[in-house]
Amino acid sequence: MLETAALDFTWSTAADIVAAIGAGRTSALSIIEATLAHVRNRDPLLNSFTAITEQRALLRAQALDAAHARGEQLPPLAGVPFAVKNLFNVAGLATIAGSKINRDAAPASRDATLIERLEAAGAILVGALNMGEYAYDFTGENVHDGPSRNPHDLNRMSGGSSGGSAAAVAGGLLPLTLASDTNGSIRVPASLCGLFGLKPTYGRLSCAGTFPFVTSLDHVGPLARSTRDLALAYDAMQGYDQRDPVCADRAAEPVTALLRNGADGLRIAVATGYFKCRSAEAVYAVDRVAAALGANRDVEIPEAERARSAAFIITASEAASLHLNRLRTRARDFDPAVRDRLIAGAMLPTSLVAKAQKFRRWYRGEVLKLFAEVDAIVAPATPCTAPLIGQQTFMFGDTALPVRPNLGLYTQPISFIGLPVAAVPIPHTPLPIGVQVIAAPWREDVALRIAHTLEAEGVAAAMRPSL
Amino acid sequence: MTRRLNARKPKNARQATTPARPVRTRKPSAAATLVAASAQALALSIDPAWQTGVTLNLQLLFKHAALVDEFPLPDEIEPAPVFRA
Repeated sequence: MLETAALDFTWSTAADIVAAIGAGRTSALSIIEATLAHVRNRDPLLNSFTAITEQRALLRAQALDAAHARGEQLPPLAGVPFAVKNLFNVAGLATIAGSKINRDAAPASRDATLIERLEAAGAILVGALNMGEYAYDFTGENVHDGPSRNPHDLNRMSGGSSGGSAAAVAGGLLPLTLASDTNGSIRVPASLCGLFGLKPTYGRLSCAGTFPFVTSLDHVGPLARSTRDLALAYDAMQGYDQRDPVCADRAAEPVTALLRNGADGLRIAVATGYFKCRSAEAVYAVDRVAAALGANRDVEIPEAERARSAAFIITASEAASLHLNRLRTRARDFDPAVRDRLIAGAMLPTSLVAKAQKFRRWYRGEVLKLFAEVDAIVAPATPCTAPLIGQQTFMFGDTALPVRPNLGLYTQPISFIGLPVAAVPIPHTPLPIGVQVIAAPWREDVALRIAHTLEAEGVAAAMRPSL
Repeated sequence: MTRRLNARKPKNARQATTPARPVRTRKPSAAATLVAASAQALALSIDPAWQTGVTLNLQLLFKHAALVDEFPLPDEIEPAPVFRA
């Protein structure tokens, strides 16, 4: 029996686990057995999992250990347990996408591309994760499965729509999850749960085998407790995929080895105007990051509020189109809050949606001009720390805003034009809050180098909750 | 220009950077009327209990759409997703 006790897998990074297995201090099977037991024991608090793929995980772990015993070289994510937002296809499971309706769908016949790629790199899928219905959510609440709970305060929101993906990693159930981000669904839960998250450039990572939300805006990416883990996972998932018509035909551009380059020489600015923080927590987080990076210049992202509005209506319209037939036949089976938004989206005139897509082109051109002057822009990720579950409004300056549509008000103008963003967690009492590090298209390396620098300097960190 | 159907300006609304648009007369029931007509056209059956929620959401969408609609764009600009054969 190999010694697992020395490795505190509940807070180990993926890189730690790979190193421990490689050094023979533990085995993939020990890690997976311990992870599965931990999920069973601890997840009732967090409500982050909706399915556990136990047999599959155990078989893969045994195969990996057998290959290791034969002297084969271990792949870069050997034995790393991971789980996916339940909009990713997992062979043998219905892809429920947070809904009641999709539970009636046939089981997927094949895994999503990114699951295949992570498993090809040695990672081991252990389950599927809770999410807001059909990803139309920033809260992490779900009327069918119950809310994902924030590990730093179980009475508070995890953020959404990738709530389970964030709660599982922040709660120490496992080191890595996959999530999607259409308007902020990686960055918002990363901020509320205190995690690192990567929303890559639009089209960088394949969405093949994921249940769509808004194909004009859908992204997928990882959540983790360290930038190195984000980079390892991201590198394993890059590359063209003909199964996804949006996926860019670009060669992989690995970033893990570049992290050590740090942020020296990078021109970093702080977003002002629309992105001006209205809460003490957000001000604290952005100021800490700016000071650590020596970011002493400001930049205004032009027409950001209008960009958010354009993203808002494109989202409503495309999502309504996707679900129109289900709205006709099974409207009562939707989460009422999602249903009403979708029905309204179906009624929005196409002329306005087309104009939003034209505005998107204009806005992209204007924002890209900024990157002639700076390499990265720092902005808040959320306007506040995690609200209470069920909370309807939060204070934005002197104004009470509805929580559900507004937690992503800082993230929407960025994903609207597909810019890569590393979300970095800034420890704060009593709750963490995140900052977006935004780079030019295809420069995930810049965002991750800056995030890694902040982590190395102790400014950004995923703090262990006292569960 | 997009008419803001029954939209009330929220207290926190930021001022648009472009000049204010002329004030238009608004029919109080325009959004609800549009919901009813669109539901019929789209063959959507809306429970009366959902009417308020749908109408409020549609008003919110028109508020956001107005912000986009009032922004001047060149006729030649392409929509962002361009199909390539």
